[in-house]
Amino acid sequence: MSGDPLKKEKLGFVFKLFKAMQKDNLNYIYRGVFTSNITDNILALAESNLVKKEDPRALKRKVYNVMVEGLQNITKHQADIDDDVENNNGVFVLKKENFKYFITTGNLIENDNISGLTAQIEQVNSLNADELKAYHRQVLVDGKISSKGGAGLGLIDMARKSGNKLLYAFEKVDEKYSYFYLHSEIPTTSSGTSIISTKNPGTIKYISALHKMLNEENVLIIFNSYFNQDSLMNLLSIIEKQMVEKLSMKKRIYNTMVEMFQNIIQHGDDYKQTSEGKAGLFYISETDEEYLLNTGNYIRNTKIPVLSGKLEHINSLDEEELDEFYNTRLLDFGIDTAKEAGLGIIDIRLKTDGKLEFNFIAVDDTYSFYTLRAKISKN
Amino acid sequence: MEALHIEPSEDTPKIYFEPEVELYVIEGKSLPENAIDFYKPVFDWANNFFNSDDAPTNFVLNFKLDYFNTASSKQIAKLFRIIENSPVSENVLIKWYYDKDDTDMLKSGTRYSKLIKLRFEFPINED
Repeated sequence: MSGDPLKKEKLGFVFKLFKAMQKDNLNYIYRGVFTSNITDNILALAESNLVKKEDPRALKRKVYNVMVEGLQNITKHQADIDDDVENNNGVFVLKKENFKYFITTGNLIENDNISGLTAQIEQVNSLNADELKAYHRQVLVDGKISSKGGAGLGLIDMARKSGNKLLYAFEKVDEKYSYFYLHSEIPTTSSGTSIISTKNPGTIKYISALHKMLNEENVLIIFNSYFNQDSLMNLLSIIEKQMVEKLSMKKRIYNTMVEMFQNIIQHGDDYKQTSEGKAGLFYISETDEEYLLNTGNYIRNTKIPVLSGKLEHINSLDEEELDEFYNTRLLDFGIDTAKEAGLGIIDIRLKTDGKLEFNFIAVDDTYSFYTLRAKISKN
Repeated sequence: MEALHIEPSEDTPKIYFEPEVELYVIEGKSLPENAIDFYKPVFDWANNFFNSDDAPTNFVLNFKLDYFNTASSKQIAKLFRIIENSPVSENVLIKWYYDKDDTDMLKSGTRYSKLIKLRFEFPINED
């Protein structure tokens, strides 16, 4: 519908990403610089939204602790990298599958540190639960500080709390740097003893490939979950705190997100018929000139003609006409239900720059995957 | 005259309508999924208040919103309509506050001022 085959290709990326994330059950990805503010927000989001409410409290605490260590690991390493290095963007991934949580972090490190780090992880992995406990105490008492300043305590903690071996990989970037990926799995079974690692090299490989893809597209944040008011409020609090843009820009992004999300909550369709909301994907990417806000969700094929007609119409209007259209709709109290005020898409178009890009990818006889992209210029 | 107090939530604003001190404020965020439900008590209050025999001869309604969604914008239009159609509409002043750089918020306010026959002022938030 968007006409331009190149753009269609780009929007196809959303579906590809969504399918990949669905398949691997990836729930939340943050890519970018990790400040303490951002770290706090990710933890808050995990607490309130990403980790399931019905999970036992002990499991939640474990997930939380491993996340804290993983995130601190990123911020620690990040500080060591020279300011002028490009792509010093870490990645944090949380996924849940079959009552298991998977936490993967990725960040740049100097190649010189690879051997030391490998030795540390191998040492941690070679110990059983009791030995880990003793080692933990020993490191605390001796204060044997590693060159990274962390005494390896973080790694020991991650291994202890996950009850699993740590998986890791290095992906060479250039002569000086590599990405370091660290992966831990937290099972719900709390037998107390160490569980033999299910060797999941596929996931870590997959995430490093995904990380590359996100680097190329300059994706800042991905949220793959159910679209409901709670998940919206959580994402908004992240955006509100972590975007470094000036106020008016931040508000624009915020407002546009609200309309895009609520549009899906009201009009999206539930492919999997779950009670939690409508499965979908939201991500923000960035170019030098603009922020791109993207959503992807299922809709029934029968809705496509009306929806695409509406989008085409709104795209065809100039600013003055859009304003007029908004005014007419604002005072049209005939369109006024809990589901529909008739203003959302007009508002998105008014507050963003250029035309909206959209696409429908047929999934089966009943459903399509609908992607929508709005651009916000940085000037 | 009755007061109306609604505590703010994560996605709904604080409503503080207090005739005793002649202070009427809507403040914060207004992003509810179902804006109709949220604003219903506000409309009920406004219908009573502005159409009663002892409606005030001088009334300032302060809007201090950070964000609002389009679902809320329609309900705000409805509130303005109720006031516009009341016998005391000429006594009412809407103060629509905005942050200095928030041109979108100012634009929303001016939009209402053009569509609704009420007096509007646009003070800048002080911080």
